[in-house]
Amino acid sequence: MSAMTLSHHAREASFWRVLETGACYLLGLLWILPLFYAVWMAVHPPAYEVRFELLAPLTLQNFVDAWNAAPFARYFLNTFALITTILVCQFVVCTLAAYAFARYEFPGKTVVFMLVLIQLMIMPEVLMVENYRTISRLGLVDTVLAMGLPYMASAFGIFLLRQTFLTVPKELDDAARVEGAGPLAVLLKVYVPLARPVYVAYGLVSVSYHWNNLLWPLVITNSVTTRPLTVGLQVFASPDQGVQWSVISAATLMTSAPLLIGFLLFQRQFVQSFMRAGIK
Amino acid sequence: MNSWTGWIKGALAGVAMLGAGAAQAAPVEINFYYPVAIGGPVTKIVEDLIARFEADHPDIKVKPVYSGTYPETISKALTAYRAGQPPEVAVMLSTDMYTLIDEDAIVPFDDFVRTDEDKAWLEGFFPVFMVNSEHDGKTWGVPFQRGTTLFFWNKDAFKEVGLDPEKGPQNWDEVVEFATKLTKREADGNVSRWGMQVPSSLTSYWLLQGYVAQNDGKIADETGTQTRFDSPEVVEALQYWVDLAHKHKVMKPGVIEWATNPKDFFEGRAAMITTTSGNLTNIKTNAPFPFGVQILPEHKKRGAPTSGGNAYIFNGVAPEKQEAAFQFVKWLSSPEQAAEWSIKTGYIAAREDAWATDAMKAYVAEFPGALVPHEQIPYMVPELSTHENQRISRVIDDAIEASLTAKKEPAQALSDAQTEADRILEDYRD
Repeated sequence: MSAMTLSHHAREASFWRVLETGACYLLGLLWILPLFYAVWMAVHPPAYEVRFELLAPLTLQNFVDAWNAAPFARYFLNTFALITTILVCQFVVCTLAAYAFARYEFPGKTVVFMLVLIQLMIMPEVLMVENYRTISRLGLVDTVLAMGLPYMASAFGIFLLRQTFLTVPKELDDAARVEGAGPLAVLLKVYVPLARPVYVAYGLVSVSYHWNNLLWPLVITNSVTTRPLTVGLQVFASPDQGVQWSVISAATLMTSAPLLIGFLLFQRQFVQSFMRAGIK
Repeated sequence: MNSWTGWIKGALAGVAMLGAGAAQAAPVEINFYYPVAIGGPVTKIVEDLIARFEADHPDIKVKPVYSGTYPETISKALTAYRAGQPPEVAVMLSTDMYTLIDEDAIVPFDDFVRTDEDKAWLEGFFPVFMVNSEHDGKTWGVPFQRGTTLFFWNKDAFKEVGLDPEKGPQNWDEVVEFATKLTKREADGNVSRWGMQVPSSLTSYWLLQGYVAQNDGKIADETGTQTRFDSPEVVEALQYWVDLAHKHKVMKPGVIEWATNPKDFFEGRAAMITTTSGNLTNIKTNAPFPFGVQILPEHKKRGAPTSGGNAYIFNGVAPEKQEAAFQFVKWLSSPEQAAEWSIKTGYIAAREDAWATDAMKAYVAEFPGALVPHEQIPYMVPELSTHENQRISRVIDDAIEASLTAKKEPAQALSDAQTEADRILEDYRD
């Protein structure tokens, strides 16, 4: 009797399992279809953009055309410089701010923290004119720093790290202090290592956001030597003529390749970090 | 902003001051923002032109700044202007003129036109292109990259259904008649080829304007404060367009994308299309069959809209920079350069003397299709341009979309649009 119920349960469980797996594959397929289509268009001549023939001739000409349409090598370099600058500064600023908010008492702490949180509710685009004015007073228009500056004191990062630091047991902090560690040593030896998954997750969100950011970099920069990839991609948005989908696909794949490859390589770490950090 | 940016501000202000003293006795430097709205190596063509301008004018240095699409260009230019660092020259939509005037961002050209030569240059533009450049008796922009819509047909498809491949339809009725013959339905009821396709995603008001002009109407008056969306001529025009899809069933119903319309033509899924003159070269290179191109078919008369960008000179920069900017714009739009720009990009040269240059004559002899936009110039009407232009064009675009997708009757959609436009424009009327 009990054996029968068990197998019944087992069968039911396996039915749900299959359904769940099937649904996962279906969603996965839906998600990846546009990417497949982009790859299809990118490696075939324009004539096959909307015709599916398995044996259609393959070509890399679209990539060559895309690469030559704008100084992409330079744009890649600029984008790397931009996201590195932003990420490093964000980590430093957010870590220090989060540490202060999590572990120190000072007058007006709540008010200051609220002010930081308010930043979360304001779209950066609203501040564009004011930011431009500030940047131009600093004499920084058309520099990589100008593109990154408004994003460096990230309220999201401060909030996220503060919450993580709050979960670190006070005993660890105290133990480190008893051993003679100063405030900075405690931060670097106790808090930062424990928050590693959060750094990875936040870093990924930040990198992908700034990799894709267009409007502010376009507005604040003027020369090829500072502008990021997204500005280069705009060359292909040609509303006055028909759009060359195959070249656009090639250019898009080309510019997003480093991110895609990076994600695939470190997929496991990323997924784990996200689970732990609770960002989705 | 927080205290941290304040700290860096102080540190960097010092660096900025060090750099300020360097640029003296050097040539006047001006910034030139330009959008790219077509395929091809536009940035290279622009840089090439500037190199030649600088060789001619050693006292002026032009810094070309590629500024994305048209909407991004006006965002960038206005942001920079409000922050006190406007570019000296920018190419923006001719229909952005009122917005730019309302923002006090641009200065009229009249202040710079002094010599007889200057006057002759300014008077050389086709009047129809100047309507979207003039306001209150002043010239606020000059035509730089202008376009219109043209009518293309697939000659092979014409032969297949027994039509004369050398003659496109000449009026609205012929379009319906030809399109009916050209529409090919499979046994299962699916359409494998539409007779006619008119794009309707984005700025569809522009195509409606063509129909309205052919119907002897006007979509708006020239003060920039009054639209006429609900006038009988406009309603009839939209009704004709909607009927192509829903009554005669010769056009793909629903919204037709700009970007895919030429593609459908190449693939033989549309036998006749309307699209921009900017597509001439695209179609010439990519159509795998012989094609015909002509000006738009007539109804009560011929008619077609203009489009595209003007060059504007900005307010809030030093007078000698504005003067340099004027010299640059004048050079850029003089016959030789206008012809070159037109040949390389497919935009219409906006002055008669550009069409008389040797380069242009040689080009037209080699590619007669290039002459079709010129042929249409006498029938052109200015593009819809009002105060709050982006909102107004949105209102009329939505009305067209609602009609084409059969959500509303054209008359109803247009009367709703007029009410909305009146509400928006009320503040600008005396």
